[in-house]
Amino acid sequence: MVFKRNNVMISGEGTRSILFSHGFGCDQHMWTEVARTFERDFRVILFDHVGAGRSDLTAYNSAKYATLQGYADDVVEIGRELGLADAIFVGHSVSAMIGALASVKAPGMFSELVMVGPSPCYIDSDDYTGGFSRDQVLELLDFLADNHLGWSAAMAPAIMGNADRPELSTTLENSFCATDPEIAREFAKVTFLSDNRADLSSIVARTLILQCRDDIIAPQCVGEYVHEHIPNSQFRLLNATGHCPNLSAPDEVAAAIREFV
Amino acid sequence: MSERPPAEDFEDLYENAPCGYLSLAPDGHIAKANKTLADWVGTSSEALLGTPFHAILTFGGRIAYETHLAPLLRLQGFVNELAFELLRSDGTKIPIIANATEKRNAEGRHCFTRITLFKAVERRSYERGLIDARNQAQVAVGAGLETAALREQFIAVLGHDLRNPLSALAAGIGLLERKEPLSERGRTIVAEMHGSIARANALVANLLDFARGRLGGGLTLSRDADQPLTPVLEQVVTEIRAIAPEREIVASFAIAQPVNCDRGRIAQLASNLLANAVAHGAADIPISIAAMTGANLLTISVSNGGSTIPEEAREQLFQPFFRGAVRKSQQGLGLGLFIVNEIAKAHGGTMNVSSTEDETRFTFSMPLIA
Repeated sequence: MVFKRNNVMISGEGTRSILFSHGFGCDQHMWTEVARTFERDFRVILFDHVGAGRSDLTAYNSAKYATLQGYADDVVEIGRELGLADAIFVGHSVSAMIGALASVKAPGMFSELVMVGPSPCYIDSDDYTGGFSRDQVLELLDFLADNHLGWSAAMAPAIMGNADRPELSTTLENSFCATDPEIAREFAKVTFLSDNRADLSSIVARTLILQCRDDIIAPQCVGEYVHEHIPNSQFRLLNATGHCPNLSAPDEVAAAIREFV
Repeated sequence: MSERPPAEDFEDLYENAPCGYLSLAPDGHIAKANKTLADWVGTSSEALLGTPFHAILTFGGRIAYETHLAPLLRLQGFVNELAFELLRSDGTKIPIIANATEKRNAEGRHCFTRITLFKAVERRSYERGLIDARNQAQVAVGAGLETAALREQFIAVLGHDLRNPLSALAAGIGLLERKEPLSERGRTIVAEMHGSIARANALVANLLDFARGRLGGGLTLSRDADQPLTPVLEQVVTEIRAIAPEREIVASFAIAQPVNCDRGRIAQLASNLLANAVAHGAADIPISIAAMTGANLLTISVSNGGSTIPEEAREQLFQPFFRGAVRKSQQGLGLGLFIVNEIAKAHGGTMNVSSTEDETRFTFSMPLIA
């Protein structure tokens, strides 16, 4: 069952569907604040990629998820199950490319793509700046392997009382960003070694690229590259800094998406 | 009156605490750092101000911070026990463990991310040790699983592939015996073939038990106190007499009490002991088997004449694959006595061996539980 596998959550009251897809390192909670602003007039769909959050870990299969296409195929299956047509796909980080692949595989399913901090390729080459050297990516993968104990402890489901933000404690009872450490390592490898530059020109959906300032994972030159290579795309530089504006500046992100759609 | 201790100097406590203190502005730049941390990194607190937190993290740490920690901090307001490495100004790294919380103002606006850092050089080295040990254990478990699969296959081969042709052979010989006219010599040969098949079946049974007992599973008993043991033992004697018609076997059974045992296993024990006596005993001295109950014990003893078992060999007798010097035609796998001993142990009993110039005697005894 696709909904159980990807922990699909549906809310909102509109007829048009907007699907939010999380990136590497977190789960659908990353979109909570942005997504709730769309509930009034959209059908809002949140889900966890297999291996993250409350997805069905037994559905994980190293061979299927050895490429981003494996994750994109899941998105297409969710879309088919929901009967999505001309929907909006909002993808953060690596999910921007997952959405692009899904939109190419299932024409008509997504008429709009919103890419938040996208990167089609993280590693530099002669004529391309991705922001990472191959050695740095290998160092990152080593880091994740080496920090297994520390990370799994930090990422393990934690029950918390949150004095500052009580609404989070009540609405999200269990955990944020729980990831199986082994799967996280494989997802990191797939993500940071991916190269989807050749796929950009096949994207026919209207596309909005939201770029943060000081994003070390998806630097501005990469966002501009994506904009140049997707035929029908717009580029927007946010005031937000870092790699997760959906968390650090949810209002700005929500307003930019709303303006676009 | 003892003198009052001097009041704690909070500024000094902050600057020179035995841990690093760091406050980040919402944009991830360092807003305040104590002297301890600055010393670890090899710079001054002033030089750290305004630089991005990334600047003192290793590359892996930077990405992990952006992809995991920043979101988690934002969502739950704190993150505990993170393993990181700080990058010092000379390029070397210091392993640290950190806790972080978000400081918010009354309106819920994020003001600072406060991070407390502890050096964790030793801890990280034993964590690495644990990871290495775990990886090695996983490799070993993988190899163990492979071996286990082979064992299962091995046992199946023994049980099925070896026994099936023996059954077919036995059935064929039975047909010859009953349906075909045979000469006197032919009948003798057929009888000997029956004996050889029985011996081969016994060897396969021992091998299977050894494989199960040694390689997994263990011997399982199905005890039954209601059924008499004597007829089973008599059947064993009849079979051995058929295998070795030239040998005299004297049997005396006096089993007066019910015996809570696995009769098939006890028969196997008696059969192995008798086969052993046939193989090793002097041909011209009768073999005797005696079974009795008494003194809350069941004892079954098998004796034969012939040469004495040397003292040093007696300790080895019950080891698997131990084989004494015998005629080549009688050579087995060396598992008979090992299985005998396993059956004895499974019944809570013991095996004893005595060997003199007059006789060699194996005695099984097990307690009779009322």
